[in-house]
Amino acid sequence: MAKMTMGLGTSSIDKLISAGVILSGAAADDMEVDVFVLVNAGHAFLKNKAADISNMSEDIQTPEEFKASLEKLNTPSWIEFFEMAKELTEVKINICSLAGKIAGGEKMEDFIDLVDDICGIGEYIESVQEADVNLFI
Amino acid sequence: MNEEELKALNVDKSVDARGTACPGPLLAAKKAIAEISSGQIMEVLSADEGTRKDIPKWAAKKGHEYLGTAEDSGYFKIYMKKG
Repeated sequence: MAKMTMGLGTSSIDKLISAGVILSGAAADDMEVDVFVLVNAGHAFLKNKAADISNMSEDIQTPEEFKASLEKLNTPSWIEFFEMAKELTEVKINICSLAGKIAGGEKMEDFIDLVDDICGIGEYIESVQEADVNLFI
Repeated sequence: MNEEELKALNVDKSVDARGTACPGPLLAAKKAIAEISSGQIMEVLSADEGTRKDIPKWAAKKGHEYLGTAEDSGYFKIYMKKG
């Protein structure tokens, strides 16, 4: 089984959707994927924030325009993309402890059900060394 | 296979993914092929141009036989035999 690691360093909705699309492709290809939630990405995985994430990484579209584009195309939410990928292949979502703390979450119960573990950066580096491909988003 | 031969196939599973953009049809195909047996035929209906190349490549990589793509009005049908 080919393996991909993904370092996710942002809570911007357009980047989260990008990550979701890539995860879907990896799932269709039966890849194993380890996602590491780094620095600013912690916010998106908090129970009280995940469903409301709408900030954009650049102002090419307003959050409202982006949302309307996705709805018109019947595109799933970022959480649904991640859920679908987890259903279809082995996807593990790891919250880097620093990312959790920056967002205000320290324990597993602070995060949405997608999250499998809280870890340190050492685990990411170890996983990257075993992977066929590593992406940073 | 030419379009006439494709359209004459007895399809065991039809997946209508016309309502979704990439990667929706690919995921729908991945889910649906698990529901049929080896040797059975599946068609995927899509209007998404990315899917036109993705699904034949995916099918071949996963050991299924890509049979061809037939055009219809505003969409196309991709046929494959499960490996």
